[in-house]
Amino acid sequence: MSVELATRLIDVLGALLLFSTLLILAAGQLFRAIYAVAVQSVFLAIAGAVLGAATGNPDLWIIAGITVVVKAVLLPWLLIWVVRRIQIPREIEPVIPINATLALAAGIVVLAFRLAASLGPVRQAITGNALPVGIALILLGVLVMASRRKALVQMVGLFASDNGIFFTAMAVSQGMPLIIEIGVILDVVLGALVMGILVLRVRSSVDTDIADLEDLRG
Amino acid sequence: MMTSSLIWLTPLLPFAVGLAMLLVRDRRILATLDVAGSLAVLGLTLAIAGRVVQGGPVSALGIFRADEVAVLFLLLIGLLAVAVSLATLGWVRHELARGQMRPERLPYYYALVHGFVATMLVTVLADNLGILWIAMEGTTITSALLVGFHGDKHGLEAAWKYIIVTTIGISFGLFGTVLVYGAAAHAQGGVLAGAMNWSSIVAIAPRLDPGIIRIGFIFVMVGYGTKAGLAPMHMWLPDAHSQAPTPVSALLSGALIKCALFGIIRFHTIARAACGPGFSQGLLLTFGLVSVVVATPFILAQHDLKRLLGYHSVEHVGIIALGLGFGGGLGTYGALLHVINHGVTKALVFLVAGDVIGRYGTRDMRLIRGLLGIAPLAGTLLLMGAFSLAGTPPFSIFISELMVIQAGIAAGRYVMVAAFLVMVVIIFAGLIHHVGQMVFGTAAASASRERELPMPMLGLLLLVAAMVLLGVYLPARLDRVLARATEIIVG
Repeated sequence: MSVELATRLIDVLGALLLFSTLLILAAGQLFRAIYAVAVQSVFLAIAGAVLGAATGNPDLWIIAGITVVVKAVLLPWLLIWVVRRIQIPREIEPVIPINATLALAAGIVVLAFRLAASLGPVRQAITGNALPVGIALILLGVLVMASRRKALVQMVGLFASDNGIFFTAMAVSQGMPLIIEIGVILDVVLGALVMGILVLRVRSSVDTDIADLEDLRG
Repeated sequence: MMTSSLIWLTPLLPFAVGLAMLLVRDRRILATLDVAGSLAVLGLTLAIAGRVVQGGPVSALGIFRADEVAVLFLLLIGLLAVAVSLATLGWVRHELARGQMRPERLPYYYALVHGFVATMLVTVLADNLGILWIAMEGTTITSALLVGFHGDKHGLEAAWKYIIVTTIGISFGLFGTVLVYGAAAHAQGGVLAGAMNWSSIVAIAPRLDPGIIRIGFIFVMVGYGTKAGLAPMHMWLPDAHSQAPTPVSALLSGALIKCALFGIIRFHTIARAACGPGFSQGLLLTFGLVSVVVATPFILAQHDLKRLLGYHSVEHVGIIALGLGFGGGLGTYGALLHVINHGVTKALVFLVAGDVIGRYGTRDMRLIRGLLGIAPLAGTLLLMGAFSLAGTPPFSIFISELMVIQAGIAAGRYVMVAAFLVMVVIIFAGLIHHVGQMVFGTAAASASRERELPMPMLGLLLLVAAMVLLGVYLPARLDRVLARATEIIVG
């Protein structure tokens, strides 16, 4: 695959990644947010495959495969399993109105592109627009977490942020060393499991959403 | 034994001990394994320290590296592991007696603590910045389970805030790491072996693109700063450190937040060389001063003993950041010494506080009176620890705080030093007021007058000895390690 084609494809995939995070932000229902992050992970895996083909680095193919299995299937399945298990209301009540969140999101995307445009020659080390897209995805993930008071949506925001980091990491030179990427994914899975355990334990003992607890203050 | 084998053995040992503990049901064997495992960790860290002092930095497996900076943090973790294990002997007995801990859950508790210690050891031994990050997130996963271990509502709330805030925070750290790695790969003209290693990135740091390193360092500072408890990303810290089981609080406040600072120090060294000292020092100063200022009102208005100590940790990571930010030899040396001094003192005070809370059955400081009357040793230690935390001579924190202030004056940052001094004086008054009321007076009849046990006290005495000793005398070997570590950071 030629470098130009790869760059174009990465830019298209970057736009799709951004669009899926916007879907998460706009989602009024828990399941939609979970499906959106699953679809986003599939786009991320495709990006890994494109970069693998462009650079000839087989590690990227492996990472793309792991991304599909773990991020597009396993983690969304875990979230859905927890939702079914605890029977929580599936509507998302935003802390900030959804329109205002989307306006903030637009601001964040513009800011990320401006920041990356200010950088010099080192941008060549990162394929296409992967750097500003990555920055925007991380910050948008934080926005999801801050604007929703529901534990499972906060986890979705976290996964979306992680996807942003992986996107940039794949596009840097030839990607991070395989062993490091695997270690990071392992951390993400273990962290998600512990979060799931905490959510279930709170549900079973006090029957509220763990993110709604706020006794500790001052 | 080869020094490089010592390096990978050090985190492996507590990990193996932790796994073995899962198979043990007997309480006494568990406690013995706990103390023996921690002593072995201390032994290994001392052995590594000895080799590094004699022969300089050592690498292992291409991903680990022990230099003088790492040695300082290793020693702190080893010392605290032993002290906390000894104190756990008494703590577990009380928890079981009060029905807070079911005996069949003990193996999981011990195993998690050792897993937690193992991840901290990997963090400070990592040369590969990716491994450093993975281990740092590993500390969050193990310690979040420990924070929520009791399963009560408050513990679970604290554990949730802790894991969700620090995980998203630390992912900023990963992004920063990716950017720094990208800059290094670009400067080398391709990915070479060890391209992600701190030692190889530092070697080419002056050639790195300053623009991308600046953005990378901001992400790292926010990411690892969240984990270190620097304000304004500190909101989870008072909750997690106050709700965790007491021995875990001691490790969280004494050692873990220092490991996060270790991550910042590694990137600070790279950023200094790539963009000049001004940029990263300026950021450190800002976060440091904000932390000290933000912590002050919460310390004054606090009624919960363990929350008080949590906010105090925010203040002290702020002081360490200020020391690094004022920079120069003196500021960096003072900051590193403060890492040790605060780690030792804060672990001590948390362990005493756990004992006090057990005796009075409350953590509300307004209800705790006359500690000296019912537990003379604990009362004395609490008083000493509080004076040390407040920065009074002859205790160790006074020395390192003084160095930080001198460095600030030398750097011409008079306004910052003045603001810092005002806060320190206010905190001094607040802390001594709080602790004075707890220690003196007459205890309520309901407070437990149980005799103080010798073995847990041994752990506390170990920490007091270090706290007092470092206040009056700095061993020549430690001084050499500190001096060389300072050289590594500021060149």
